[in-house]
Amino acid sequence: MTCDDARVLMHGHLDGELDLAGDLEVQQHIEQCPRCASEYAAMRAMRTRLKDVAFRFEAPAALKEKIRRAIPASPPSRAGAYPSRRGTWVPRAVRFAVPMAIGAMLALIVAPRTIGPALNQRLASEVVASHVRSLMAAHLMDVASTDQHTVKPWFNGKLDFSPPVNDFKKDGFPLVGGRLDYIDGRPVAALVYQHGKHVINVFMWPTAGDTTSAERIETEHGYHVEQLTVAGMNCWMVSDLNQQELDRFAELIRAKG
Amino acid sequence: MPDESKAVDFDRTFIPHMDAAYNLARWLVRDDHDAQDVVQEAYLRAFRFAGGFRGGDPRAWILAIVRNTAFTWLKRNRGSDSPTEFDEKVHGGSSEESGLEADAVRKADGAMIRAALDELTDEFREVIVMRDIEGLSYKEIADAAEVPIGTVMSRLARARGKLARSLQERIAQERIPKER
Repeated sequence: MTCDDARVLMHGHLDGELDLAGDLEVQQHIEQCPRCASEYAAMRAMRTRLKDVAFRFEAPAALKEKIRRAIPASPPSRAGAYPSRRGTWVPRAVRFAVPMAIGAMLALIVAPRTIGPALNQRLASEVVASHVRSLMAAHLMDVASTDQHTVKPWFNGKLDFSPPVNDFKKDGFPLVGGRLDYIDGRPVAALVYQHGKHVINVFMWPTAGDTTSAERIETEHGYHVEQLTVAGMNCWMVSDLNQQELDRFAELIRAKG
Repeated sequence: MPDESKAVDFDRTFIPHMDAAYNLARWLVRDDHDAQDVVQEAYLRAFRFAGGFRGGDPRAWILAIVRNTAFTWLKRNRGSDSPTEFDEKVHGGSSEESGLEADAVRKADGAMIRAALDELTDEFREVIVMRDIEGLSYKEIADAAEVPIGTVMSRLARARGKLARSLQERIAQERIPKER
């Protein structure tokens, strides 16, 4: 073994990453070559130094908190806080079947405009990702206002449609603001509502027809997503709220539409 | 359609590794605020792609995402070549030929080690942080950086060599004023 080889392989030896034969060869070389032995000792000393916790940065508590808040908890120990999560966890085959059955029914009833389950699943993932991003990146709102007459005009000129904006404060779902977002390759209105400590994002953009449809899509990671078509608007709601509460909220949105 | 039968419990699987994620991001982008942005972005990506997690060490998986997010960030915000020039100026030339002594490494204090690490190129700093501070295996580093395992070892050899030499120079410079 040459010194050039040994100077690379001694690292594999140091890290326990060589096979037995290679390990022995390097070992032998180090024992016979004072220069490589000295270098190996230096490398070993450095590796020991770097293990010191002093060289580790700890994540700031605020960052941890922000990420924890944005990603809903799902361990069983905290299931009490989200009663519906485990309860509504239906077998995979059923979860496949239900949206598909609804899709099939819609295909029959509202003939020309059907959204396939695959598209819906993709949109649901996008909507969940936008929801999580809005909570994480401290960019929940562009316009923070509980006044629907402030929020609605704010969208003027920013979108080529005017989303219906309603406050449901008396029903326990106060409007807290709105922002522009981007879903399905187009700018959309995002309305932000609150229920207790839970945030609900409502994404809206115009749809081709004006039929009313409803679909509940349960997505990964314990978020609940519901989709409505109301007053010509494609309307997606996402939250870590339990299913019953989100259903109640969806009903409010539908009633106003 | 994601394979839901393998859906992982994101909270329990990945949240405990936030310190490791931040540590790697902090060393790679060398700024607290930027590192926080990188970690958030990485967790968001991890959350979206958790369906792609097929077992293995979740820490290595999230660190690979942090690593790639950080490098994308560096490329976008700082351009990737400047540290290399800097590094060659500091560590180039004949010092490569001088022998290394474990003594110099032992004498170096924390601030010196930190400064020497900071001055390495991103690629060299990356392997040292992933291997020596985070304790990832060559295979895990190779997967994260998308290079062969042999490249990990040779890069690590050069990175550690530069770091040790830099420490030796710093110790030597510190001695000069004392001897005068």
